[in-house]
Amino acid sequence: MSLFNWLKSSILSKVVMALTGVLLVAFVCGHTLGNMLIYLGKEEFNAYAQFLQSLGEILWLIRITLFLALILHIIAAIRVKFLNMASKPVKYQVRRYVKAKLTSRTMLWTGSMVLAFLAYHLLHFTIGVTNPKDFHVYEYYAPHNAYGVLPSGAIAKINEPNSKITQNLLDQFESQASKQVMKRHDVYKMVVLGFKNPWISLCYFIGVILLGFHLNHAIQSMFQTLGINHPKYDKCLRNFSPVLSTIIVICMISIPINILLGLTGGAL
Amino acid sequence: MKLTLHIWRQKSARDKGKFEEHLVDDVSPDMSFLEMLDVLNESLIHQGKEPFAYDHDCREGICGACSLTINGTPHGPEAATTTCQLHMRKFKNGDSIFIEPFRARAFPIIKDLVVDRSAFDRIIQVGGFISVGTNQPQDANALPVSKLKAELAMDAAACIGCGACAAACPNGASMLFVAAKVSQFALLPQGQPERKKRVVAMVEQMEKEGFGGCTNFYECEAVCPKQVSVRFIAMMNRDFLGATLTKE
Ligand code: HEM
Ligand code: FES
Repeated sequence: MSLFNWLKSSILSKVVMALTGVLLVAFVCGHTLGNMLIYLGKEEFNAYAQFLQSLGEILWLIRITLFLALILHIIAAIRVKFLNMASKPVKYQVRRYVKAKLTSRTMLWTGSMVLAFLAYHLLHFTIGVTNPKDFHVYEYYAPHNAYGVLPSGAIAKINEPNSKITQNLLDQFESQASKQVMKRHDVYKMVVLGFKNPWISLCYFIGVILLGFHLNHAIQSMFQTLGINHPKYDKCLRNFSPVLSTIIVICMISIPINILLGLTGGAL
Repeated sequence: MKLTLHIWRQKSARDKGKFEEHLVDDVSPDMSFLEMLDVLNESLIHQGKEPFAYDHDCREGICGACSLTINGTPHGPEAATTTCQLHMRKFKNGDSIFIEPFRARAFPIIKDLVVDRSAFDRIIQVGGFISVGTNQPQDANALPVSKLKAELAMDAAACIGCGACAAACPNGASMLFVAAKVSQFALLPQGQPERKKRVVAMVEQMEKEGFGGCTNFYECEAVCPKQVSVRFIAMMNRDFLGATLTKE
């Protein structure tokens, strides 16, 4: 059965949304966990960013999968929206909702705004278009057990913290050392410089809260759409949705808040 | 009690329709909502005016004939109650009450507050039944049914097919109705032989009739006079997906 046929059915369109939603939510959770490494310090955070970059083809595979999932998610969302607008041509003059919430009634809007935020976020931190000066920052780092030969001929371990490795220090070593001392994207610095700007922080604030709104309805909706339910754990699945989305929002926005307050990245 | 009623007046499906205002001042709190409308209609007839058309039959909350969207909620403000079982004591003296027909594309208005709900009949006709031989009845205990499943099937079977789910749904979706009718059989052994065929046929008919798709507002469950749970929608989604993937 082709995708086109699936999109004819409202239930299967929702299944497409839910399955792509599973991937997107999994990504958001992973991204949140990864971002929390910023609290372990610059070394760990940059090493994590470097690890992601080092995945090479695998990283591209993940990116392409997520991109396709997002496209399908949006196509299905629009498809269902059109179908549903046609099914209720005349609206009530007086309307009182009992269970429909603001979050469930605004999914297409929060989704679209999340999309806009996502585009900005990629331009800002992934492609480096919006703030190129903050983006092109690098640091030198020494892999564990890197040894250098000092001009005196003595062999010394480079055990300075990465932040102290500078071009000056490298100049003290012979070429062997500078080969072992490498350069990588200073993601930590990029993030701190970015969020020091209150306007940029505000954008992330709004973007993440909108994502939280979207997920507040989406996560339990996903289970419902896929038919994952049982009288025993129904309630648990319903409550999981606001809990998980709140955790994601708090974790994510804690980063710009801490940076603005100078609690994180103060020293750089 | 004195009330200001704003009642939908519409000559036919093609007419545009509008609210008509009526003051009623001799309403007893013990009347049912429909009795209150009966009294209004009687006085309209005495004045030589056109009475309002609205649906009703058993007036006991079991047939599903009564409808009406009262102050923006199908079957009115009281949960788990049909319009015929709603009493005027639920309103306050001096209240304004807006009365509209059930609205959904698949429920075209016939006149005033009466809508055509025969779409539901056609959905039932394509699969809302089981095929059994009409010879000797089987031994009652030959087919064991677990208590949980028996109770769930009973809960689904409580649906009276009134259409409030589709009327309440911002998408005009009748998933709760179809899900109840699919699940009451899917949960029991007698429903198994035609299970896949049934769910596919009924869902397809539902879409053909012009009902929308579920986006999990849960407004249907909130207004259902029989409190049919949206759990059955999840069960139907699961069944429908499974049947689509494995249908012969
Ligand atoms: C990071 C990005 C996103 C994530 C993690 C996400 C996640 C989800 C999930 C899990 C669902 C539930 C699916 C279901 O009900 O079966 C959902 C629903 C939905 N999403 Fe997204 N989504 C994202 C982006 C978007 C975008 C960009 C749009 C914009 C068009 C969008 C529009 C919708 C709509 C309209 C629904 C329907 C809700 C419903 O029918 O219950 N989403 N989303
Ligand atoms: S008239 Fe039968 S349920 Fe209301």
